[in-house]
Amino acid sequence: MSRSNLTRLKNIRVVVSLIFFLLISLLFIDPWNKIPTGFTNFVVALQLIPAILKIFFYTGITTIGLIFIFLLTIAFGRVYCSTFCPIGTLQDIVIYLKRKVKRRERFQYNKSPYLYHYLLFILITIFTVAGSTTLLNLFEPFSNYGRILTNIVEPLIILTNNFVSNILGDFQLYFLYAIPLRKISLEILIIPILFSALIVYMSYSHSRLFCNSLCPAGALLGLVSRFSVFKIVINENVCNDCGACEKVCKANCIESETKRLDFAACIGCFNCIKSCPTSGVIYAGIKLRSASTSPVAFDSSRRKFFKYNIIPAAAAALPVISVADSIENKTSGFHEARKHPISPPGSISIEHFKSLCTACHLCVTSCPTHVLYPSLFDYGIDGILQPKMNYDASFCNYDCNICTLICPSGAILPVDLPSKKLIQIGRTHFVKEDCVVIDKKKECAACAEHCPTKAVRMVPYEGKLRLPELNNDLCTGCGACEYACPTTPRKAIYVRRNSVHLQAIKPDVKKKEDVPEGLIEFPF
Amino acid sequence: MDRRTFIKSSIGASAAIGSLLNLGKFEKLFSFTQTTYDLVAIKGGEPDVMFDKGIEALGGMKTFVKKGQTVVVKPNIGWDVPPERAANTNPKLVSRIVKHCIDAGAKVVYVVDHTCDEWQRAYKNSGIEKAVKDVGGKIVPGNSESYYQSVTIANGKSLKNTKEHEIILSSNVFINVPILKSHSGTTLTIAMKNLMGNVWDRRYWHRTDLHQCIADFATYRKPDLNIVDAYWVMKTNGPRGVSIEDVITMKAQLISTDIVAVDAAATKLFGLNPDDIGYIRYATDMNVGIKDLDKLNIKRITV
Repeated sequence: MSRSNLTRLKNIRVVVSLIFFLLISLLFIDPWNKIPTGFTNFVVALQLIPAILKIFFYTGITTIGLIFIFLLTIAFGRVYCSTFCPIGTLQDIVIYLKRKVKRRERFQYNKSPYLYHYLLFILITIFTVAGSTTLLNLFEPFSNYGRILTNIVEPLIILTNNFVSNILGDFQLYFLYAIPLRKISLEILIIPILFSALIVYMSYSHSRLFCNSLCPAGALLGLVSRFSVFKIVINENVCNDCGACEKVCKANCIESETKRLDFAACIGCFNCIKSCPTSGVIYAGIKLRSASTSPVAFDSSRRKFFKYNIIPAAAAALPVISVADSIENKTSGFHEARKHPISPPGSISIEHFKSLCTACHLCVTSCPTHVLYPSLFDYGIDGILQPKMNYDASFCNYDCNICTLICPSGAILPVDLPSKKLIQIGRTHFVKEDCVVIDKKKECAACAEHCPTKAVRMVPYEGKLRLPELNNDLCTGCGACEYACPTTPRKAIYVRRNSVHLQAIKPDVKKKEDVPEGLIEFPF
Repeated sequence: MDRRTFIKSSIGASAAIGSLLNLGKFEKLFSFTQTTYDLVAIKGGEPDVMFDKGIEALGGMKTFVKKGQTVVVKPNIGWDVPPERAANTNPKLVSRIVKHCIDAGAKVVYVVDHTCDEWQRAYKNSGIEKAVKDVGGKIVPGNSESYYQSVTIANGKSLKNTKEHEIILSSNVFINVPILKSHSGTTLTIAMKNLMGNVWDRRYWHRTDLHQCIADFATYRKPDLNIVDAYWVMKTNGPRGVSIEDVITMKAQLISTDIVAVDAAATKLFGLNPDDIGYIRYATDMNVGIKDLDKLNIKRITV
């Protein structure tokens, strides 16, 4: 490639990264639910960690995305970190703004803290393989970005929308409509706020250090990039020792004095290529590398240490997830049942969900009925921030399977609509004494009214009164009955979770009444 | 004024008004001689055709909607199911009603419901959103408490205060368009029960005294017109229904200004006795309307 072509790489990188940053952001700040699921899938397919988790359970567009990321990295290094990663771009934006203010700011070579980074990565991998995503969720870039948008940015957009729609409503204008605001608890906000602060601080004072010290995707791609076909190198034959490349290197991986570029730490921003006045920084294949540079010396003992392949080990161990939670809570009352969060349909079991959910909150922001809520420790400390069904807020729409279609990590696996309608995520429990019909001797039936399968139906009770009766074989655990139940403070009818999701029986759809069709006579 | 001049001037005035209103048909000039019906029952046609015939028998929509007025149409859009499941009012009927209102000179026609399922899915999948927009009506959301204003039910026994949708409060004409269907809580849902979709907090009704609250609310603001859709009728598993097998094709429609009368007639159409429906009894006791159909002047139309 000629120099002019290579210098264009930086501009291409900037454009691609901004496009992906914008697209990913849109997915999380779309309270109007205008974005089609196919598009969402396309965008999130290129998110490394979720795609890796998903590949063990599902083959689809994320598989293609994953292959693409690996091919890209094995060919050109960690280009991913400067294009598809939203946290990468967020850091670039902070760095860009900083350099607008402090124009004299220059970067300097800093040895990448490989030891700490890889130790953390190994720890995260071990925890994840053992079935706890907590550590992964704290550092995984895409999910952290999703959480910031879902829990901090989207509510602000909703508030603004509701403020404007309220004013418009006074003039009978309804093209903007009020959107229910999730009840936001401070505990949910803590981690997104801390992470935002961390990213802003780290990128401001240490540029892309996060990617080379804490990020699991960065660690993994760094390992792959050690074997990249094309690497960015300094061509000693033309280098004039000006040091321009080191001054623009956000990853602090260029040491101009020794003409070394530590490619495993390189995040592929191409600033160096553009900055070089002599075409001395180039993308070079294996042959060219040996001709133009002295071999880059890596500590071989450390190299051996990482030579064993972590990924296949993780792959082999992942399906064997420890059974940490098998509470069926068959006898629990309303308040007790609420302590055991219900996972969305498609998540197979609490174990499956917990061990794969990276808590990006894409399902939370995409759920049309707003039944999915983030939780902090509801699933235990081994599964933080993962979403649960909140039947105080809403219920699961019977004819909807959106969360199953968009989940990036396979925590919620895709199910078609007919199958989704037969997934039983919980079973209903009825407390007679708390029911309006018994308590007040008045008709109610709010539960039976909302039940989409007639798992709750009304049967004759005293006089003309009718009382709810359950047929839990038909129940999907959607929570419509619980949501609609008017009793306070306890709901007379509520859902207890199935730790392992079950199959519901298809509702009986035979004609129940023999009614003459056709033209009727007026009975009056 | 002698008799001759009176007749002359009346005819002249009628003709002038007639031509002003651009009514071509001769008999319309003498519409004041037409009998007014308490209830119109139509059968045998498509929902829109039945409405054309029915509203004609009542003197056309201009009887209810004056030029420049704002109209709100309240169908049942409670559920995220397609029209043939008969959980929501037939979109063809809603669309035709909106059309008649616009043709009668309505300034604007709003369509609203406080849905049970997620409102955007219910509006869309019921077919009502598109049907209304196609004829120039306006869809109004009812999904947020911010749209509801506190009102006092002066004659209410169990329901004394509630929050009603602002668009219903602010519109000149209120047209109630329920669908007749079975109901797990109140046996049947028709016109009075449909008004539950006007308010925000329905749980209060459920936990207090559902039938009495329905009757109470019917004393608050009686719709100017009630049109009961009984084209497809959900006979079992209402109000949401489980499948198409819950539905029969009845091809009927009822129109009345009397919300109790129309509920009583629809109950009979369904095959039940109006006295067995709590809220019909209570509403009759509270003089909301007349449930005794023998006392009414009913126009029966077969399309």
